[in-house]
Amino acid sequence: MEVKQNDLSLQEKLNILADAAKYDVACTSSGVDRRGKKGSLGNSLSAGICHSFSADGRCISLLKILLSNDCVYDCKYCINRVSNDTVRATFTPEEICTLVTEFYRRNYIEGLFLSSGVVKNPAYTAELMYRTIFLLRTRYHFNGYVHVKAIPNAPAELIQELGYLADRMSINLELPTGESLRRLAPHKSPSSILRPIAQIQSGIENYRLSIGKERKMERHRTNRYLSGTIFDTAANPQLNSRETAGLLPPHTETPARIPPARGSGSGPLPAVREGKPFVPAGQSTQMIVGAARETDFQLLTASQYMYQIYDLKRVFYSAYIPLNEDPALPSADTAPPLLREHRLYQADWLLRYYGFQASDLLSEDRPSFNVLLDPKCDWALRHLELFPVEISRADYSQLLKVPGIGVKSAMRIVSSRRTAPLSFEHLKRMGVVLKRAKYFITCGGKMMYRIPIEENFITRQLVGEDRKTAWELEHPDSYRQLSLFDDFHFHVQPQPDDLMKSATGQL
Amino acid sequence: MTVFTCEDSPDAMLTCIYDAWDSRLGHRNIRLMLEPLYETELFCSYRHIDADSEKAGKVVRSIQKKISPGAWRMVYRCAMSSNPEKLEIIYRFLLYGFAYGSPALQMLQEPAVAAFFELDRRTGNEAHRFMEFIRFVSFPGDVLVSHISPKSDVLTLTAPYFSDRLPSEHWIIIDDTRRTAAVHPRDGEFYLTRLSQEEFDRLSAPAREDDPYPDLWKGFFRYISIKARENKRCQRGFLPLWMRKHVTEFEP
Repeated sequence: MEVKQNDLSLQEKLNILADAAKYDVACTSSGVDRRGKKGSLGNSLSAGICHSFSADGRCISLLKILLSNDCVYDCKYCINRVSNDTVRATFTPEEICTLVTEFYRRNYIEGLFLSSGVVKNPAYTAELMYRTIFLLRTRYHFNGYVHVKAIPNAPAELIQELGYLADRMSINLELPTGESLRRLAPHKSPSSILRPIAQIQSGIENYRLSIGKERKMERHRTNRYLSGTIFDTAANPQLNSRETAGLLPPHTETPARIPPARGSGSGPLPAVREGKPFVPAGQSTQMIVGAARETDFQLLTASQYMYQIYDLKRVFYSAYIPLNEDPALPSADTAPPLLREHRLYQADWLLRYYGFQASDLLSEDRPSFNVLLDPKCDWALRHLELFPVEISRADYSQLLKVPGIGVKSAMRIVSSRRTAPLSFEHLKRMGVVLKRAKYFITCGGKMMYRIPIEENFITRQLVGEDRKTAWELEHPDSYRQLSLFDDFHFHVQPQPDDLMKSATGQL
Repeated sequence: MTVFTCEDSPDAMLTCIYDAWDSRLGHRNIRLMLEPLYETELFCSYRHIDADSEKAGKVVRSIQKKISPGAWRMVYRCAMSSNPEKLEIIYRFLLYGFAYGSPALQMLQEPAVAAFFELDRRTGNEAHRFMEFIRFVSFPGDVLVSHISPKSDVLTLTAPYFSDRLPSEHWIIIDDTRRTAAVHPRDGEFYLTRLSQEEFDRLSAPAREDDPYPDLWKGFFRYISIKARENKRCQRGFLPLWMRKHVTEFEP
């Protein structure tokens, strides 16, 4: 049966292609500061702006759509795989441009997130995407945020050209080991994913060097005060090959980058264009949690690897949601592993802001996160010899390792203790979460209560605090208000002997 | 105890701070309050202060010079807050500010500084939320009109952002609670104005019938959510119910 494109209204197309794009996680509009200019529409703030929150509590910042869901690939986990019988739709570039500018004017969105299924072939798809973004930037004078997905196996020239128009680009890693990639995404290969990532990285480096910045992307300013972070080039123990065993890329023994593809046989790519921004907000990627047998340790190591080797700005994690029935996939009634996803994000923040390494948090012997405790508490409990920490003397990096103290509150502590000593009351007002921190800190040499520094005791206490949040994550919206009236059907039918008792007056 | 009172406008508040400081009654013996006063106390004398732009300007300059330009931005944000105690909070902070200079901003142990810091943070956060959740409606003549009902007076905190974002559009942001508006003509500078009842009614007219984009947006909003992950409580945490009043996708 042939489905005619013309039958679909713009509304229907938008609904279909938003529905198809929603499993992509990245919706951030962060990483680039750009002032507005007269005659064009839009600006960009590096903090990023969320414009709404959908019913699943995820931020809507960009108009996240596919150009087309008419995909020729057959990735097992994907809703748009060619073997699925769904309605197929394709936007024209003009339709996308009008939607973006009109939505943007009404302050619905911060920009465009454009992804696509592979129409006909990767080159054709990438060209359609390029045409769309080119129109948007030039004819529609759109100056807001644009995030483009690079299509694996697309020609290097097109990726290069897209990079000059987009703020952020991303290629989804999806599955961090070559083995599961072969099994679940037969049309993709590790090198087809990593080659464009390396190409974009070298483009970003060239651009940054040409405007006099450092080669690597800026990280949060507080990383300067930490030593041994994953971004620290000097003190960076290279991930040893045992840790990355089986992970992408296939040849781990040479951590050197895969050289960027030199446009499929058409000579070297044009050198960096003077001062023209190339993917200024950096690139990101995404991994599926729970589709194959990867452990948390493998996922986190892969993230760290991507941050270190490919200088990615963000790695996103998406809890696997069963969409297709397939023998290679988990069964269709699997609940999305939301808690696991949450723990991975927590650990990801620990890597990027707190100076932890993946190997500090997990190891081959303990490859999964603790269900009951967040990764930082878990780490602290295994390193009780470092605690308690004295608030008035500990340096910034030590403060950051305390559960319940974050980047902001550690900064506040460091700057405010110069003038006067701090008490627990002060800490509370500064935003320290005392219910976790109280086991690990002293103020003026005293702990908050008489607390034994003993692993079992503190674990019991913390688990009690944390269980509620963990449960709520696993069971969103499943609480209910207890009613005193006949709500839970507490009424018990009178038993025969009750009737007997009331008859004989024993009641 | 002497209580200095003034109306709720930046100029009047700064003049009030100037006069209270200048009164030489001793900081412990005075208080600053905003009008209207609901309950007056028996053993207090009240002094009403009128706005005086010269005195206000002096206060602004000395805050910028003796503390820091950042401190002035914080004072301004606090002055836009909806907290009835804001004037007193600003005054108590300025005592520390003028005594210690810019390091006073870091003295979070002091209750006065901590209260000021917290007030600034709250107002700043509310302003940021409205940058996110303001929705424009297209009116005839290509004018974008937005209504908001914020708690704090966030109009002057958000309008500069929108004049950067939409420089070549006609737009108006209307604060429904205060009946004030920020008006931005195409390729011009925005200005603040008070709306008369008639203007307000005209700008509150329902959206154009033939504008397809609100419906397209509502459709997108519905379809982008993943059923298996639905979590309304998380949504409410980020986007509280009271802010949804003028937000297109939550209109019935």
